[in-house]
Amino acid sequence: MKTISERTRALHPGGLGSALRSAWPVVAGVVVALVLQSVLAPAVGPFAAKMVLDIGIAIVLAVSLNIVNGFAGQFSIGHAGFMMVGGYAAAIVTYYGSIKLWGSPEPHGGFLGSGDLLFLFACVLGGCVAALAGLVVGLPSLRLRGDYLAIVTLGFGEIMRVLAQRSKDVLYPEDVAGKSMWEVSDNLGGALGFSGLPSYVSPTPWNEDTGHAGIFFVYLIVAIVLISAYRLKLSSKGRALLAVRENEIAAEAMGINTSRVKVAAFVMAAFFAGVGGALFAHEFGNTLTPRELGFQKSIDIVIMVVLGGMGSISGAVVAAAALTLMPELFREFAEYRMIIYALALILVMILRPQGLFGIKELWETTAWRRIRARIVRGKEAP
Amino acid sequence: MSEVLAARGLSLSFGGLRAVNDFSLSLGSSDLAGLIGPNGAGKTTVFNLLTGVYQPDAGSVLLDGKQVNGKKPSQIAAAGLARTFQNIRLFGELSVLDNVRTAAGVRTRSGLWRSLLRTPLYLAEERAVTERSLELLELLGIAHRREEQARSLPYGDQRRLEIARALATEPKVLLLDEPVAGMNSSEKVEMRGLIQTLRKQFDLAILLIEHDMGLVMDICEHITVLDHGMTIAAGKPAAIQSNPAVIEAYLGAPEDETTAESEAS
Ligand SMILES: Nc1ncnc2c1ncn2[C@@H]1O[C@H](COP(=O)(O)OP(=O)(O)OP(=O)(O)O)[C@@H](O)[C@H]1O
Ligand SMILES: [Mg+2]
Repeated sequence: MKTISERTRALHPGGLGSALRSAWPVVAGVVVALVLQSVLAPAVGPFAAKMVLDIGIAIVLAVSLNIVNGFAGQFSIGHAGFMMVGGYAAAIVTYYGSIKLWGSPEPHGGFLGSGDLLFLFACVLGGCVAALAGLVVGLPSLRLRGDYLAIVTLGFGEIMRVLAQRSKDVLYPEDVAGKSMWEVSDNLGGALGFSGLPSYVSPTPWNEDTGHAGIFFVYLIVAIVLISAYRLKLSSKGRALLAVRENEIAAEAMGINTSRVKVAAFVMAAFFAGVGGALFAHEFGNTLTPRELGFQKSIDIVIMVVLGGMGSISGAVVAAAALTLMPELFREFAEYRMIIYALALILVMILRPQGLFGIKELWETTAWRRIRARIVRGKEAP
Repeated sequence: MSEVLAARGLSLSFGGLRAVNDFSLSLGSSDLAGLIGPNGAGKTTVFNLLTGVYQPDAGSVLLDGKQVNGKKPSQIAAAGLARTFQNIRLFGELSVLDNVRTAAGVRTRSGLWRSLLRTPLYLAEERAVTERSLELLELLGIAHRREEQARSLPYGDQRRLEIARALATEPKVLLLDEPVAGMNSSEKVEMRGLIQTLRKQFDLAILLIEHDMGLVMDICEHITVLDHGMTIAAGKPAAIQSNPAVIEAYLGAPEDETTAESEAS
């Protein structure tokens, strides 16, 4: 029987064709994001558009947490901590950076103009700083498992919250002059939050004055997160994550470096959470406060992953959308939210411990297949 | 024939219990050897020492002449030592095919970036992984179950899948821990044929732990007998069968009790 490397050589990796094939989902994602921004947002009005933004950000967070909780099976309940790291890092760039560049923290330039580019850079930087934090939190996962690891991630989130709370007041533009970025990096607004951030993520479509392309940015990142998570799940690297979750001893015996895999899962999840935090911080109507991104937020994201199914990307998307819409649509729901979440969690744990879809994607579930079969049969029948 | 696996004076204690004491072994390429002994003799512990799950208190393990004790199990597997588990350890929620592909993935070079960008090398490697995994399932006779969840397979097929998964790592040496435990006699005959086929087709050295004496005596060229962690005999099957120390170890306890226990483990 031929070995993998012999076969790989025989398969003659093709050039341009396969490059195009691998790029088209990203192109499709850009197009969808543009359509949502320019067609959907004006059609539904700012209130609904704000919900579209909220859902997008929730998807980024739920799908990224799913990489570490669902795929790798390392139970993390400090995801909002990574949001906070990414959010504050990005905020330093957009607030103080804008002041240094343009004299005011207001949004600058038109669609994909200099202000938007600064914001995108801030998102990536926020992701990178959060990824670094992910590395630090991922290391204990090598020695701890289960409840103990959960407590470490919880502690991390709380430490981030306290650090943000103890930061100094935000500086006014006129006080920034003459100070380096490093000197102002502790002026994050303390418990009151980092107010005055430019709202690059806004529900209203762009115009000459403000040039916000919020929905475009959020759904561009949603597309990147979804494509990355899905490709990861179907790859050998992703299967290595799932193997660690299923049986660590067997995974190690099959040549999988389980330590590396676990830390990598933390880093990747933290990166996307950091980007999500940057989006959240610059969303119209939000204030970046330590309270907002505390334990409660982490639990909200965990619930999305657990309800949707540990390891199911579409499950996380559905749960993120549903749990974001519910409190907005039903006032009563918002009041009793935590009670309903708790009940839903208990019910799921009893009836379907693997979550709604388990490890499967929506289109792989038997219910979906049955419905499709019925539709197909219905069409065939005269 | 060159030596692929060697154990020199391996010892390991659990607290006061000497589970393995001064164990040595030499396996040439495409040798088929047996490791037997009553329950609790230390056979599985020897496998765990060879594969790096436990670190020996003394002694060394050489794979292809290079010392591997002290390395992580994943490094030892990558160096060419694969195993199956007595108490089956599959990736339960994954499909049968994905169980094998997971192990085959270890022989690919594409990292995270290539996987996310789906570069040509990555795509070719994934196709190679799938091809070879399917062929292995075919060889083990469970290809028709490739879409099923591993945990839903009948017992015998789970054992077959464990072997397919181990082979997917492209090993030089294969350690089988009770591959026919819980199988009926026709399945045992099949497995015996299969073990011999594998060894020829893959040029594999195989070390086999088994309580089924008929099978071991029949197919192994060399047998090592453990009792209470000590090697009490080693040699050709015929010599082992008539060795008084071996007979004593096995018959010292009432025979029916020994077999009853082995069924439970
Ligand atoms: N992790 C461990 N901690 C403590 N004792 C152990 C451990 N693993 C094995 N032992 C003990 O070491 C001895 C050898 O166990 P081992 O599993 O190697 O036996 P075995 O020969 O494989 O038996 P069986 O035929 O029942 O599988 C037993 O007494 C067992 O209880
Ligand atoms: Mg054993």
